[in-house]
Amino acid sequence: MFKFLVKGLIRDRHRSLLPIIVVALGVLITVYTYTYMKGVFGESLEIAAIFDSGDVKITSRAYYAEKDEAPNDLALENTGDLLGQIRKDFPELAWSERIKFAGLVDAFDSDRVTRAQSGVRGVAIDLLGSDSSDRDRWQLETAVTEGRAPENPREILITQKLAERMKINVGEEVTLITNTINGAMSAVNLTVSGTVYFGVGFMDRDLILADLKDIRWILDMEGWTSELLGFFDLPAYDDEIATALADDFNLKHADSSDDPYGAVMNTMLDDSGMREYFNYAENAGSIVIIIMITAMGVVLWNAGLMSGIRRYGEMGLRLAVGESKGHVYRSLLGESIAVGLVGTFFGTLLGLGLAFYLQEVGIDISGMMGDAEIPFPTILRAKINGMAFVIGVFPGVMSTFFGAALSGLAIYKRNTAALFKELES
Amino acid sequence: MMENKLIAGLAGVALVLLFNAPQSACANAPTPEQILQRVDANMVFESAISKTSMTITNRRGRTTSIISKSWSKGEKNALVEYLAPARNKGTKMLMLDDELYTYSPAADRIIQISGHLLRQSVSGSDLSYEDMMENDALLEVYDAVLDSEEVWDGRNCFVLALKAKKMEIAYPSRKVWIDSERYLPLKEERYAKSGKLLKKIEIRDLVRTQNRWYPREIFFKDMLSNGQGTIYRIEEIQFGVDIPEHLLTKAALRR
Amino acid sequence: MVLLQLALKNIMGAKLRTWLNIFVLAMSFILIVWGKAIVVGMGDQIIDAMKDVELGYGGQLWHPDYDEEDPLTINDAHGSIPDELVPGIEAGQIVPILMATGNIYPEGKVRSVLIRGISPDQQILDLPSSVLKDRKGVDYPALIGKRMARKNNLAVGDMVTVRWRDTNGVFDAREVEIVHIMNTVVYTVDVGQIWFPLETLQKMLVMPNEATIIALGKDTGIAGDLTGWTYKSLDDLLANVLELLRMKNGGGNIMYGIMFSIALLAIFDTQVLSIFRRKKEIGTLMALGLTRNKVIGLFTLEGSLHGALAFILGGILGFPFFRYFAVKGYAMPIEGDEYGFALGNVIYAKYGADLLIGTTLLLMATVVLVSYLPTRRISKMTPTNALRGR
Repeated sequence: MFKFLVKGLIRDRHRSLLPIIVVALGVLITVYTYTYMKGVFGESLEIAAIFDSGDVKITSRAYYAEKDEAPNDLALENTGDLLGQIRKDFPELAWSERIKFAGLVDAFDSDRVTRAQSGVRGVAIDLLGSDSSDRDRWQLETAVTEGRAPENPREILITQKLAERMKINVGEEVTLITNTINGAMSAVNLTVSGTVYFGVGFMDRDLILADLKDIRWILDMEGWTSELLGFFDLPAYDDEIATALADDFNLKHADSSDDPYGAVMNTMLDDSGMREYFNYAENAGSIVIIIMITAMGVVLWNAGLMSGIRRYGEMGLRLAVGESKGHVYRSLLGESIAVGLVGTFFGTLLGLGLAFYLQEVGIDISGMMGDAEIPFPTILRAKINGMAFVIGVFPGVMSTFFGAALSGLAIYKRNTAALFKELES
Repeated sequence: MMENKLIAGLAGVALVLLFNAPQSACANAPTPEQILQRVDANMVFESAISKTSMTITNRRGRTTSIISKSWSKGEKNALVEYLAPARNKGTKMLMLDDELYTYSPAADRIIQISGHLLRQSVSGSDLSYEDMMENDALLEVYDAVLDSEEVWDGRNCFVLALKAKKMEIAYPSRKVWIDSERYLPLKEERYAKSGKLLKKIEIRDLVRTQNRWYPREIFFKDMLSNGQGTIYRIEEIQFGVDIPEHLLTKAALRR
Repeated sequence: MVLLQLALKNIMGAKLRTWLNIFVLAMSFILIVWGKAIVVGMGDQIIDAMKDVELGYGGQLWHPDYDEEDPLTINDAHGSIPDELVPGIEAGQIVPILMATGNIYPEGKVRSVLIRGISPDQQILDLPSSVLKDRKGVDYPALIGKRMARKNNLAVGDMVTVRWRDTNGVFDAREVEIVHIMNTVVYTVDVGQIWFPLETLQKMLVMPNEATIIALGKDTGIAGDLTGWTYKSLDDLLANVLELLRMKNGGGNIMYGIMFSIALLAIFDTQVLSIFRRKKEIGTLMALGLTRNKVIGLFTLEGSLHGALAFILGGILGFPFFRYFAVKGYAMPIEGDEYGFALGNVIYAKYGADLLIGTTLLLMATVVLVSYLPTRRISKMTPTNALRGR
């Protein structure tokens, strides 16, 4: 019988095409909105993950307790072994070693006399290694506004703002003055290979970006790592997976739990203090999505109802030729399910396609913002997750079905004659 | 006029106790001035070359020793060169009157340490560069009063209370324990304006050389924080050595 | 008029369908107004909180050397408070704030801190500065924020050592008593800061009658530089935040676009179906002598009436809802400042006239448009075919 109904639907385009388009459109909007919302809420989490927290982060316990101060003297020692171990234990993650530091940048003139000095915050990442994942993660290709990313040892990037303030030109040598982890003053000349602009407020003020190897040497931290960031190959941060991983890691390293310098893993939400934000975003996101689905549901229900009403005449005729009320009603419901499924299928497909484009490519609206090279905040992005595949079913199938079910009740309420009259009118 | 100063040496490496003053000793019925004069006889020198080590205990409980050689001339001029650890070898500090310069061979730069850099700790020790630079003559800026006599560390001491004469003195009051027999300061406390104890310095070991008593091991402690303190040790010292003029110049730093 | 009556009669005849459409439209209307109002309210709240707590409503006077982004210069940025401000200060409408850097030693750990002095009698900033007033037996009463307290493990009644240097560079250190921990959404007066009575801090720093910045109340009449002081208007002070909010707002507009499109889809849907279903009626109307334009007008009017009725329904249904969020607010499960905004955990919706009128006009205009669009096919109908339902 379902086959028969489908055939009928296909043959009567009025009964199929328009409702399917309406359902597909509604589902498309729902799916797209859902992924878009996920993308928007995920954005600040993503920025936090890339620049600071990773999806998970390994530090020493003592370092973690004072992490705001970036106490490199409390960092993890001999991370080579640990890195090998976690690469084996958790192959699904990409790992990135980081050292955060503070210091003074001292620009000097041709007589090597100080001409400008400024306090800076520094981040050391693997800028020169064969593995380019850190460079890609920081989107250095787009973030470099002048010059180029470091290609040789002793090259650094500084923010555009810092370069302007200190009047440092690309290619110029500056001295970084900082303290080693043993407290000794350390002064090293570094070449500014380029300037960067990330478009993320706190990143663009007084940051320098240096190569990990250089900074290890400068801070007397050979073999040490302050922060070991792990990144999942997932489109968005997944707290459940991250928490499970952190628990697993911490259990494996439980034997060193008394050692303040033993390794401990924390999830991004705990490290960045964004757990509350995340929960809020989830809640707020759920509220908006429920509202969207309800609204969309009403629209599609409305559409389902309308197509039902449109066919009162036909029902009257079918009742008149002897079909039972139940049979007519059931066939109406069957049709609505078919329409709902097909519409949902195409709507989800189109919605996911659009979302996928946004997720992978993003729409760069920086042109509209009047600033052409901002890699991070001005790209509209969407995030696809498992939910995105099924979210359209609620408005798409259920609402259409519900609409048909409601309008079909008329079959029971009205008598055959009245329905039949609709055909004539 | 007498000058008494406790100069913590440069970059936490050379810390030279300099008590520099005209030598007019008076043996009995000591007034605070007389006590300090007797101290000067021990502590003050025209010139000296010394080799020192500074032991710093970091937060992980590990100790590092920084070894350096210093050339001091008078009260306000000194050059310090790091000898160890290897990564600091060749780094120099130059104190020229009231200015402090550092030379880093890695950067081939002479950088003046000024402004907030002066407040930073020297090589992770309990001393700031500013503490180190603080070289005004004690009796020039402080009024001294003989507070009491006390036994400290088994030695009979005069306890001098010092009060700043001027407004611009970092530590408005100090207390100095001076061995009443050897005329050497054994302990010093530096106070905030409120009277709160900020820093404590103890001389833990003495040496008799070239006919004078001189500190061998000094312990510094920032009393507000709960760090381990810093031990400063003079391994070798030679007084009255001729130091060439050109050595204590900025130009010499890069050589 | 006849058309209006007819249109009203027609849509009212289609009871359920009409009401559903109106309901959907009304809901969208409510949601958009509500969403916008929350965002507007949020922005206003952030700005208000900053004005209330940190900035004051009349701008600020800064010592020319003061640079909020460079903590190294703060100790040099202080100057005598101009005499002409004294009456305003006494009235609590002008609030000088003195700043200096120092260290605190909670549990023996050294931490850098920004020390601020403020008059306990000030009236314009929403800081509990009055807790610093007349503390019997407490020479150095200190006020800190909850984040500062949390980070340094400090509680009310705790003594903590603060060390600073006075204007001459003389070290000073005191045990100060935490007399109050304030709960403020403005983290820039909380994190890494400790507050003392202005006079106490002036004495501590030996900077009698001096300040670093001077916050101005609403009607001080000061809107320009004074000798030795640079005037910063509220717009100058809020520039960064306004920029950030503008960017966030852009994202919000996309949401409203989507919501609108859902509502409009419903109207469009209805119009298409209703024209399809009522061909015979259209034919009849034409046969009776109505011009095509009049028929188009009738159908457009019917569609548009949905908008008008939705507006009325939205008003009736929305009013208590709107009112609730304006008065009781929308309680977020966290404090907004956790992600860098000076925002409390309750957001109050704010319905400006421009928001209400703008949304209504936009709603009506688009409803008329989508009501009209499907009716264009009427112009292609011939009365005879239409009468036969084709």
